[in-house]
Amino acid sequence: MLFGLPQTTSPRLQLLKNVVLFKDLSMRELAMVNSMMHERRYIADEVIFDQGEEGQGLFLVLSGRVKITLPAHVDQVLIELGPGAFFGEVALLDSSIRTAQARALEDSQIVALFRTEFYSLLDTHSAIASRISFQLAKVLAARLRQTVVNAARIQHHEAA
Amino acid sequence: MPTFAKSPAARAMPHRQLAAGPIVWIGIIAVTCLLLVLFQYVLWLIVPVMIAIVAYYILSPLVDVGVRRGLTRARAVIIVTILLTLFLILLGLIFAPKVSATIDNLPQTISEYTHTANTLFANAQRTLSKKAPMLVSAPVAANTSVLSAPANGQPAPTTAPAAPGEIVTNVADLQARYSGDVLMEAARWVPSLLLVPCITYFLLLDGPRFKRFIVQAIPNAFFEKTLYLFYRVEDQLRRYFQGLMALTFLDALCLGIGLWIFGLHEPFLLAAIAAVMAWVPYLGSICGGLLVVLVAAHDFPDPRYAWLPYEVVFLFIGVRMLDDFIFLPLTVGRSLHVHPLVTMLMFLLGGAVAGIAGLLLVMPVLGVVMVAGQIIGELLTDERILARHRHAQYLRRKRARVDLFDGADADVGL
Repeated sequence: MLFGLPQTTSPRLQLLKNVVLFKDLSMRELAMVNSMMHERRYIADEVIFDQGEEGQGLFLVLSGRVKITLPAHVDQVLIELGPGAFFGEVALLDSSIRTAQARALEDSQIVALFRTEFYSLLDTHSAIASRISFQLAKVLAARLRQTVVNAARIQHHEAA
Repeated sequence: MPTFAKSPAARAMPHRQLAAGPIVWIGIIAVTCLLLVLFQYVLWLIVPVMIAIVAYYILSPLVDVGVRRGLTRARAVIIVTILLTLFLILLGLIFAPKVSATIDNLPQTISEYTHTANTLFANAQRTLSKKAPMLVSAPVAANTSVLSAPANGQPAPTTAPAAPGEIVTNVADLQARYSGDVLMEAARWVPSLLLVPCITYFLLLDGPRFKRFIVQAIPNAFFEKTLYLFYRVEDQLRRYFQGLMALTFLDALCLGIGLWIFGLHEPFLLAAIAAVMAWVPYLGSICGGLLVVLVAAHDFPDPRYAWLPYEVVFLFIGVRMLDDFIFLPLTVGRSLHVHPLVTMLMFLLGGAVAGIAGLLLVMPVLGVVMVAGQIIGELLTDERILARHRHAQYLRRKRARVDLFDGADADVGL
C-alpha cells in the first residue's frame, strides 16, 4: 500500500496487546512492532530452539503451548507457556546462549522479535523500544526476585 | 581512519568471526569466480542493481530520519525520492551549461588534448634520448598500430610508420571508425541505467518486506541462523559500500590537495573524477592517471613547467601506493574482514576471469559469497540442526499419513 495505514483490528494485534511487554504501547505503535516480527508455525513436538544455541531474539506464543526443559531432564518440564506468553527474552539484549530447550507441546503459532530489528527500533522509534525495554526489565527483575526467594526457601528447608 | 557508524545489525550481532576452513574458502572463491563469469552476460542488469544498492545504502538513513519523525515508511520513501529528484534536477541545471559547452567544443578539446599528448610524448622521448639513448632506438610505429587497429579483430591496416612523437595520427579517422560503436554501446546502457531510480525506490519501500517474504520459506530448524545470515550479508554490503565511499573520499582528498599545490585548475573535481575511475582497479587507475597528467600538461604548456606532468605522475603513483597498501585494505578490505593479500589476489583473479566487469564486481560479490558460504558451512556441519530438521520433516510426514496405514507408525522414508 502506498500510504500504509496501520491495522488496528487484526486478531494478531489484539493478542499482542495482551502481552505484558507491549501493554504500554498504542495500537499504532503495536502495529509498527508487529511489522517487524516473523511468524512461524511449529508442529507438536518440534524443537523451537536448543540449549547452548546462540540466541537471536525472543519468541511469543500466539496459539498453542510450548514447554521449556533442560535436555538432560526432558521429562522435567521447567515451565509450560500458553498464548500471550514469551520466552527467550534475554536474547533480545545480548547474544548469550540459550539456557534451556523450547519445544512445542502442540501445534503452535509463534512470532519472533529479533535483536537486530529491536536495535533498529531503538534507532528509529526509541520511545517504543524504551517502553518495551522497561517492561522487559520489570519481568526480569520479578523473575530474579522469585529465584532469590526460591533459593532462600530451599536453603531454609535444607538447614531444617 | 574513518570509523563507520555501527548499524543496528552490527550492534546486535556478536563480534565473533565465523570460522571458515580451507574447503569452505575454496568453495567461496570458486562460487565467486563462477558468479563473475555469469554476471558478464547480464551486466546490463547487474550494474543498475549495484548502483541501486549503493543508492539504497546512501538514502536509507534519510528514510529512517523520516520514519523517526513519525512518517510511515511509504511516505518517507516518496519524500526522499522527490527530494533526490529535485536535487538531481538542480545539479543538472547548474552543470548543464558547462556540459553543453564542453560537448559543443568536444572536437576542438579532443584535438587540443591530442596535441598535448603528442607534445608530451615527444618531449619525453627527447628527454629520454638525451639521458638514456640506449632506451630510445626503435621507431614508434608499433604504438600507432595498436591505436589504429579496428575493434573487430581484423588485421591492422598497413600504414606508413608515424613520425617519432606522433601517438595518434588521425583523430578524425578514429572518430569515424569508433564513434558509431561508442554511440551504440551508450544507447544500450541508457535503458539499463533508467532502471536505477526504479529499483532504488522499491528497495527503499519494500526491502524489509521482501526480506520477510524470503525468510518465510526457510524451514524452522534453520530459521534463526539463516536470519543471522541475512543480517550479516546486509551489514557486509553496507560496510563495503561505506568503505568504498570512504576510500573514494580519501583518494580524492589526497590527490586534490596535491594537484592544488601544483596549481592545476579545479584540482578537487579532477581528483574526484580520478578517484571514481579508480573503482575499476588497475585499468581505471591508469586512465585516471592519464587524464590528470594530460590536464596538467594542457593547463601548463609553458616550457618552464615541462617537469610538471612528471611531478603529477609521481604524485599519482604516491597516492595509488597509499591507496593499494594502506587505504584499500583498511577500508574496503577491513570492512569485509578479508586479508589484504586475499583482497589483492581476488582483484587479479576477478580481472582474469571476467575482465573489467570482474575487477568492478569481485569485492562486493566476494563479500556476499564469503558470509553466505561461512554461514552455510556452519549450517551444513551442524549435526544438531540437521537432525532437528529431519525430525520436523518426520513429524510432518507422520501426521500426513496418520490415517493411511490404519494409524500405525509407518516408515516415512527417513
